[in-house]
Amino acid sequence: MAEKKQILVLGGGAGGLITGNLLAAHGYQVTIVEKSDYHLFQPGMLWIAFQGHSPERYIKPVAELVKPGVELVKGVVSEINLADRLVRLSDGREYSYEYLVVALGAAYDYDAVSGNKELLERFGDFYSGAEHAQRLWQSFSSLREGTLVVAAADPSYKCPPAPHKAAFLAAETLRKKGLLGKVKVVLALPFVHEYASKNLAEIIAPKLKEAGIEVRTMFTVESIDVENKKLYSLEGEELSFDVAALIPVHRGPLVKVAPEDAVDDDGYFKVDKHTLRIEGYDDAYAVGDCNNTPTSKTGVTAHLGGEVVAERIMGYDAVFTGRTNCPLVTDGEALFVISDYEHPPVDVRFSKFKRLLEDMFIAMYWPSLRDPEKWSPLFRAYFEATSPEKLAQLGW
Amino acid sequence: MPEKIVVDARNMACPGPITKLTKAYRKAKPGDIIEVLATDPGFKPDVQAWVQRTGNELLELKEEGGVIKAVIKVTAKK
Ligand SMILES: Cc1cc2nc3c(=O)[nH]c(=O)nc-3n(C[C@H](O)[C@H](O)[C@H](O)COP(=O)(O)OP(=O)(O)OC[C@H]3O[C@@H](n4cnc5c(N)ncnc54)[C@H](O)[C@@H]3O)c2cc1C
Repeated sequence: MAEKKQILVLGGGAGGLITGNLLAAHGYQVTIVEKSDYHLFQPGMLWIAFQGHSPERYIKPVAELVKPGVELVKGVVSEINLADRLVRLSDGREYSYEYLVVALGAAYDYDAVSGNKELLERFGDFYSGAEHAQRLWQSFSSLREGTLVVAAADPSYKCPPAPHKAAFLAAETLRKKGLLGKVKVVLALPFVHEYASKNLAEIIAPKLKEAGIEVRTMFTVESIDVENKKLYSLEGEELSFDVAALIPVHRGPLVKVAPEDAVDDDGYFKVDKHTLRIEGYDDAYAVGDCNNTPTSKTGVTAHLGGEVVAERIMGYDAVFTGRTNCPLVTDGEALFVISDYEHPPVDVRFSKFKRLLEDMFIAMYWPSLRDPEKWSPLFRAYFEATSPEKLAQLGW
Repeated sequence: MPEKIVVDARNMACPGPITKLTKAYRKAKPGDIIEVLATDPGFKPDVQAWVQRTGNELLELKEEGGVIKAVIKVTAKK
């Protein structure tokens, strides 16, 4: 017999912890199933891979991030049956639920691009864990001359400005080591312009130039020749590298789902974009990177979506707006890419103040996961003050 | 057999349409026809730049009632 849970949360990443901890703060009985003992602050991989930070800064035991009273189950979810309200783990344990919150994040498909696996083994990457990020730091920091290429295998990936951040952080490291010029940083993007949206491309392009970063647009990596160190693009071009950092193809979580049409062709859970309810079910939600909402896959959207789901389960009519707040940091400055379902990214400027704000957001990450009920009002004030409508009038 | 692939990117802000086109292009075979529908005004110059860069053939590009339609023949894939 499957053990019945009041609130069953699958995944203890950003979205799962916010949802679970918020509900627990309001007296609900919450169970979180997570396969890993540790939670990784994913943006930290950029600092590990391109600035040599120690991974310890960005990793904490999941057990320290759940509120007292939350039941943490260590296990791998292998099957979700929405019609029977049944979740199965790989070791055979079964749970049923009153409410289900799927927060399993995105998975990567290293087979989609030939050579990606060998590239990962040889150089590491900055998307798939602290160890791979450390390996990339070893590869990058041992370069004395040559070319570092930062590229993507697909135009949809977590955190749209992440490759730009990678290039800026790498260039900063090279500048500090006196190697900029000897080691060239090439940023290859699957977009027509220097950023996914044209208005921001115009703002970011001069900064890339200033930092000495060379940009190749419309370069979506299709295959890699690791031996001869060449990337080939879907658009028909090639690029040589000495070290390449590739963002892999993303897909939905690797679990069996019944009914099959609850997920789309790429494995993402089909949800109502405002309520995050899985289509056709009133007792199941999907939060964060694992759903198919037409917004960027970011920690901020997972966080805001988690709040909406927790409030809906509590009986409030909360609505997810698709709001993003993706930081792009350069050498000493930052800007935030701000958009929602109704508004494409608004024009924003780089500033030192925003870099300070971003450093503060990073510092607030751990406490805000564990005690969202205390931190949410603060974030809410920030999100209201920086809503796309307001910024469109005021600029920022 | 060449296929016709329809990419509906209406009501998607940039870079939605080109992103969807890129995804469709990855799966396309030589000779396939990709038809993209978009409402984002930036799509028109973007698809022209894309076709020029990739060397595929733009059979049709027109705007009607706020909808931009681009018909592309996949000629650059081997
Ligand atoms: C390099 C990089 C930089 C980024 N920068 C930013 C940024 O600056 N700002 C920002 O907002 N976002 C950023 N992001 C994106 C952000 O990290 C993610 O969007 C966010 O973590 C999504 O949260 P989630 O809860 O949906 O998924 P995740 O945080 O990925 O959590 C999913 C959890 O589910 C667990 N899991 C998966 N499968 C199973 C299974 N079968 N059984 C049990 N458990 C399972 C995983 O172990 C994981 O703990 C960045 C991401 C990367 C990679």
